[in-house]
Amino acid sequence: MSNDHFLNEYVYHENTWDEMYDSKNIRHQYSHVFSMLKNLDVDSMSNRHRLAGELFLNQGITFTVYNNNEGIERIFPFDIIPRIITGAEWEEIEKGIIQRLKVLNLFLKDIYHEQQILRDGIVPAELIASCPHYTREAYGIRVPYDIYVHISGIDLIRGSDGKFYVLEDNLRTPSGVSYMLENREVTKRIFPDILSSSNVRSVTHYPTLLHEVLLNLISSQVSDPYIVILTPGIFNSAYYEHTFLAKQMGVDLVEGRDLVVDNHKVYTKTTKGLKQVNVIYRRVDDEFLDPLVFKQDSLLGVPGLLSTYRKGNVAIVNAVGNGVADDKAVYAYVPEMIKYYLNEEPILNNIPTYQLSDPEVLKYAISNIDNLVIKNTNQSGGYGMIMGNAISEREWLKAKSEIEKNPRNYVAQPIIQLSTVPCFINGKIQPRHVDLRPYALYGPQGIKLVPGGLTRVALTEGSLVVNSSQGGGSKDTWIID
Amino acid sequence: MLRVARTHYIYSLDKNINSGTWKPILQVYTDLPEDKAQVFENDTYAALHYLLLDNNNENSAKNIIQKARENARGIQDHITREVWEEVNSIYHLINRPFVKLKLASADALEIIDLFLKHSMMYAGVADVTMQRGIGWNVMKLGKFVERGIETLILTDKQCALHNYDLYKELDITSWRFLLLSLAGYEAYLKTYRSTKHNQQILHQVIFNADFPHSVLYCLNQIERSLAVLVKENTNPEVPELLRSFGRIHSRIRFMDPASLPSTDIQSFFLELKRKLQDFNAKLKLLFFSY
Repeated sequence: MSNDHFLNEYVYHENTWDEMYDSKNIRHQYSHVFSMLKNLDVDSMSNRHRLAGELFLNQGITFTVYNNNEGIERIFPFDIIPRIITGAEWEEIEKGIIQRLKVLNLFLKDIYHEQQILRDGIVPAELIASCPHYTREAYGIRVPYDIYVHISGIDLIRGSDGKFYVLEDNLRTPSGVSYMLENREVTKRIFPDILSSSNVRSVTHYPTLLHEVLLNLISSQVSDPYIVILTPGIFNSAYYEHTFLAKQMGVDLVEGRDLVVDNHKVYTKTTKGLKQVNVIYRRVDDEFLDPLVFKQDSLLGVPGLLSTYRKGNVAIVNAVGNGVADDKAVYAYVPEMIKYYLNEEPILNNIPTYQLSDPEVLKYAISNIDNLVIKNTNQSGGYGMIMGNAISEREWLKAKSEIEKNPRNYVAQPIIQLSTVPCFINGKIQPRHVDLRPYALYGPQGIKLVPGGLTRVALTEGSLVVNSSQGGGSKDTWIID
Repeated sequence: MLRVARTHYIYSLDKNINSGTWKPILQVYTDLPEDKAQVFENDTYAALHYLLLDNNNENSAKNIIQKARENARGIQDHITREVWEEVNSIYHLINRPFVKLKLASADALEIIDLFLKHSMMYAGVADVTMQRGIGWNVMKLGKFVERGIETLILTDKQCALHNYDLYKELDITSWRFLLLSLAGYEAYLKTYRSTKHNQQILHQVIFNADFPHSVLYCLNQIERSLAVLVKENTNPEVPELLRSFGRIHSRIRFMDPASLPSTDIQSFFLELKRKLQDFNAKLKLLFFSY
């Protein structure tokens, strides 16, 4: 059976922006891919889907679920049909993210030094003081080139009006870039002809760009610069990405126990003796980074690391204390920050966000929960999120009680119908909701983005939760000119 | 282990040769207590399953492959992508349901051969793709320490069958199992012409520097890898490690093979094995402890 009639079976959702189909016609950016997919039958598509799975399995791009001491490997879900964005749309996204990143960086510098934005009342001081990720120990630390957010993943969604909005900023240890790169490699294997004829912008230079950013943080007077990636270890769900980036950049992958601080310098233990580290790209959260300063029982970090950082003898990427800027309560103030620091209007808008610490807002949110999503300001990965139109009465009562105890820890947003894209599921092409995580690199030479990013897809019909930790998958993202 | 299991499996099919029991193999490759070993020793399929797939056997092929894969995951920045993918594919292969089914049937040899082939593929991929740096030399070091110990154990087991009496002349068929298990049968036939098989076989497995499974070959390879590892290493314990290894190496390198029959061969094997294990322990302490 061919895909000839698949449009007839494609259930287009009302009040939702479908990225391929505008209820009458195929959008022009999808026309080429659509015409090529039409010529493939279901068996051919299924074989490609199976091949993609085998490629992911062979390369070890999997999650491990431990059950009865047997590791059960699960392939990171991947949908074979690419998500396509036009070059013109991408230019807007790129400008918006660069603007946003500049501002968040200025905010971090300000908040850990003069705190002018608090004095001027743009952001309430109590919001920062009550933020669990505001790291007092980082106050006053000078970082190389005043760059705090070297690597970021800014989550975007497309609303029913077709515009892109910022859903969330990820400024601490954003992950997923390895999947973005591997998705492209897999697409090259399963659709080589479609890819080559579609004039898609390349993403393979990301590791080179990242390596440049890290190298440029080191003073030119250092004759033998040494960069490491600090990983929590093989049981971390993002471990594959840590090894991937280490290999792609040709840098060492280390754990906390491989490092030692001596006389305010940090070293890697090698078979040839100690080797001084100049840059640590850490994938360990702040609270585990230095047991002398943060969590005392942490085995993932390095005792004394923060003192080395304070002395300027090592650069840490991303900087310590970035969590205050990706707090969901602080997110609501980013448009004001853009006006304050840059005197500009935001290019990319936020989703309307309401602080539940305001009693009036809290009252409104509780009465209108059916139309809202409530998020815990300190959680990520889709955890701590309450979809008001899907939660049961019993769960809501429990959640409401938690919210009322600590309203500062929660924000409310209207439920947005994420845009949909075609996915190959169970032998059919069906629409599923997606978001987009472009990755930006901020070095002394400026901010650069690789075209596209990671498109995350909610594989369950009707679901708006795209996070991989909760059943989501990913797609290759094409920027075409 | 796979080669030994394969050789023994084929032997066990020929009931005229009294070699059907799996007891010696289980003694070498598992730590099964005597009473439990009796359950498996005359049951080929049960023994094969225990050796290759049983999760309760720490040294089963499946557990070893799983650990190897976890190790490989942990050092992916020091191995090539090809090596990682080969280890990973062996891991997924051994967890496929058809492996257990076939191993319990007349197709057992097919499974053993499949994994033997993959092991050799792994060795080839590593040889062709790995840069000759620290990672490569650590891999080699471990491989040859283990191989040297295994040769000693298997040779000891074979000599034990004949009460360590090297003066008692035995024909080649008595030694075939050992030679096939060490992939040395054809090499032996081409290299040694006399009928004094006892001395010649011991020469091959201990002193022949051209035979990849001989103790001397393993020691020579260890020496080369060790030299790379300790180069530029200023740790004060390195000289003692080198001396410790040097003593073992010299013992074999400068020993007169003709003196072997008059030696207490059992103690000789035991002493060498223990010294290699001690050296391994020192190596681990020096390079892999925190």
